[in-house]
Amino acid sequence: MIDLYAITDDPAPPLSEPLTAVASHGLAVVCGPAEDGEVTAEVLWRHEEVVEALMEERDLLPVRFGTRVDDETAAARALGDRHVQLAGALDRVRGAVELSVRVIGHAGGDDLRAKAAAAAAVHGPLSQEARASTQLIPREPSELLRAAYLVDRASVDSFVAHVARLQEANPRLRLLCTGPWPAYSFAES
Amino acid sequence: MRDKLLHAPPDLDLFATDRPRLDDALTRRVNADPEKLERGLAQLVLTIVELLRQLMERQALRRIDGGGLSEEEVERLGRTFMELDKRMEQLRTEFGLDEEDLNLNLGPLGNLL
Amino acid sequence: MSRDVTERNVALVDLVDRLLGGGVVIAGDITLAAADVDLVYVNLRALITSVATAEEKNALPRMGSAL
Repeated sequence: MIDLYAITDDPAPPLSEPLTAVASHGLAVVCGPAEDGEVTAEVLWRHEEVVEALMEERDLLPVRFGTRVDDETAAARALGDRHVQLAGALDRVRGAVELSVRVIGHAGGDDLRAKAAAAAAVHGPLSQEARASTQLIPREPSELLRAAYLVDRASVDSFVAHVARLQEANPRLRLLCTGPWPAYSFAES
Repeated sequence: MRDKLLHAPPDLDLFATDRPRLDDALTRRVNADPEKLERGLAQLVLTIVELLRQLMERQALRRIDGGGLSEEEVERLGRTFMELDKRMEQLRTEFGLDEEDLNLNLGPLGNLL
Repeated sequence: MSRDVTERNVALVDLVDRLLGGGVVIAGDITLAAADVDLVYVNLRALITSVATAEEKNALPRMGSAL
C-alpha cells in the first residue's frame, strides 16, 4: 500500500527516497510507503513536512491526508481518472500559497447579522488581496470567521501587513493569520 | 510550529483548542450517547454498511446460482456472511441501535432497506 | 501552558482543518469482496457525478429534506 502526498507537473524535480512519482497525462502524484499506526499530531506534522518540502521546489496540489491506494498502478489510474480537473486546479494555484485567518471576538451584537457584518469587515478586504478566498466551517463558539486565502507568493508579506492593519482597526476582535500552507482549500473546486 | 504564526495576538490561547476535541478529529471516534449528533452519524453509516451487505449477499447468491464458484468458495462465502451478520449485530449493540433504527425513511421514496 | 505549546496547538487547529478537510480527494475504486470473492465494484466519483447531474436535470427528487 502507498500513501499519496501531492499532485505535481510531470516532469518534475527529482525526489528523495522513499518518495516516488507516478506519472499520467502530464501530471505526477508523489507517493510514499504507507505508514501504519495511530494518527497523532506528530504524524500529521510529519506528513505536512513532506508536502511543504516538495512545495519549496514546485507547484503542487496537496492530497488529503490518509489517501491510500494499493500500488503505483492504482495511483496512476486515480490520477488519470481526473487529470483534466487536476490540471486545471494546479494551474489555478501556481505560484501561490494558502494563508489561514481566524477571527474571534465581539461583533457589536449577538445576532447573526452583526456577526456576519464583523466577519465581512475582515473577509472582504482580505479577499481583495488574494487570488481566491473561501470560508471554512467555524468550529469554536466565539469564532466570527474561519477562512482561507490563495495568495501569490510575492504578496504574502503585504497580505500579513493588511491583517495587522485590520487588527489595529478592530480592537474588539482578535485576528490570527497562519501559513504559508499548501493550497489545501483550493485543490478541489 | 512557531513559524506558521504570521500574525498572532498576545492572548493566543483564544485560538488554541481543547486537546480532547482535537483528539476526536484525529482518531474519529464516534460518541454513542443518544443525545449527541454523532449517534445519528453512526446510524447513517451503519445503515449504508447494512445496505451494502444486503447488496453483496444478493450478488453472492446470484453468483452461487450461476454456478461459477467452486464448492470451497461457496462455503467460504456462506461463512463470511454469517460473520458479517454477527459483526453488524455487535456494532448495532455498541451504538444502541435496533434493526429498525437502521432503516431510513426517505419520504416519498419509501424506506431505504 | 507555555507559549510554545500554545503556538503549536494553535497551528495544529489550522493544520487539521486542511489535512483532514481539504486537499485533493481521490475516491478511487471500491471493490467489495466477501471471502476473497469480488462481488460489487463501485466507482465513487462516477456515482457522485452522475447523481449530481441527474439532480440538475431534475431526473431525481432532491434527497436533502427526506433524510
